[in-house]
Amino acid sequence: MIATFLLLAFLQIKVPDAAQFVGPPQGTPLAGAALERRTMEISAELRCPVCQGLAIGDSPSQMAANMREQVRELLSRGYTEEQILSYFEKSYGQFVLLKPKFQGVNALVWLLPVLVLAIGLVIVVTKAKRLEKTPVPVAAAVAPDAASEAADDPYLAQVREMVEKS
Amino acid sequence: MNRTVLIVGIVIVAAIVFVLFAGLGKDPAHIDSPLVGRPAPPFALKAVGTGETIDLETLRGKPVVINFWATWCGPCYEEHPTLVANARNLQPEVQFIGVVFNDTDDKIMRFLAERGSAYPTLLDTNGKTAIAYGVGGVPETFFLNPKGTIVAKFEGPLTTEALQAELAKAMR
Repeated sequence: MIATFLLLAFLQIKVPDAAQFVGPPQGTPLAGAALERRTMEISAELRCPVCQGLAIGDSPSQMAANMREQVRELLSRGYTEEQILSYFEKSYGQFVLLKPKFQGVNALVWLLPVLVLAIGLVIVVTKAKRLEKTPVPVAAAVAPDAASEAADDPYLAQVREMVEKS
Repeated sequence: MNRTVLIVGIVIVAAIVFVLFAGLGKDPAHIDSPLVGRPAPPFALKAVGTGETIDLETLRGKPVVINFWATWCGPCYEEHPTLVANARNLQPEVQFIGVVFNDTDDKIMRFLAERGSAYPTLLDTNGKTAIAYGVGGVPETFFLNPKGTIVAKFEGPLTTEALQAELAKAMR
């Protein structure tokens, strides 16, 4: 990080900083294996803007590589996951989040499956209760049907004949 | 019960048809920028060729057109003459800036030498400026008003008509 700062100062260049978007870091700076692991975890939550539905962690594009590098740098400076996702969201909008937030129209993505499941359950339970309430006279309803079915179906009649013989 | 099922079915189908119909005619690649209406992220980058550092904050007081592009981008070749011609007509009242990312100095120099140049082209070496501006693909162009607020974002190759229409927003 210090090397990057010195290089930028030497080149007299200034690039937009996350602090301008999400304030100072609110977490602990990461390094080593923990830094790499968290970089990959957060990269799995961010959509590559030049790909078709790929996370930046899975994309081979240069843009995704730049974004992964930025995630790594922000983690090394102590930015939290929330701050990093918020930083990218402020630039790209909610589009960049692979897991949509539970707000506005996006809430439908979470609510609709539950709603449809609930409606389905109500329909099934109502049907089942109605079937329970309707008495079916077994002797009157099934026996004649079975008899006529056997009479109509030569294959069934043949099977019955074979069973009786055995 | 059958009537209820029918009504629920009609409502679900109508909702799906509405969503699909609303999506017709929309460009799936278009993303509304949350930066429109907000201050432009500040940057100071080196100009290719001259080595001069251009600080966006020093350009306050006039509309600024920031064009993100790259030599590996086909549509950027298409729009380059439009940008150069309009920059020659409108500068110094309007400042044009090119920001190139994921590219190299020599390729940019060759491109500009072959196709002409009328404004500073800055190199965004690590793509951080492009990310801060929410750039997805190039070319993308941002229009800033004299206060430094982003008033419009245009995706794809600019025509003179499109450029002037977006620039009008920055002059209000």
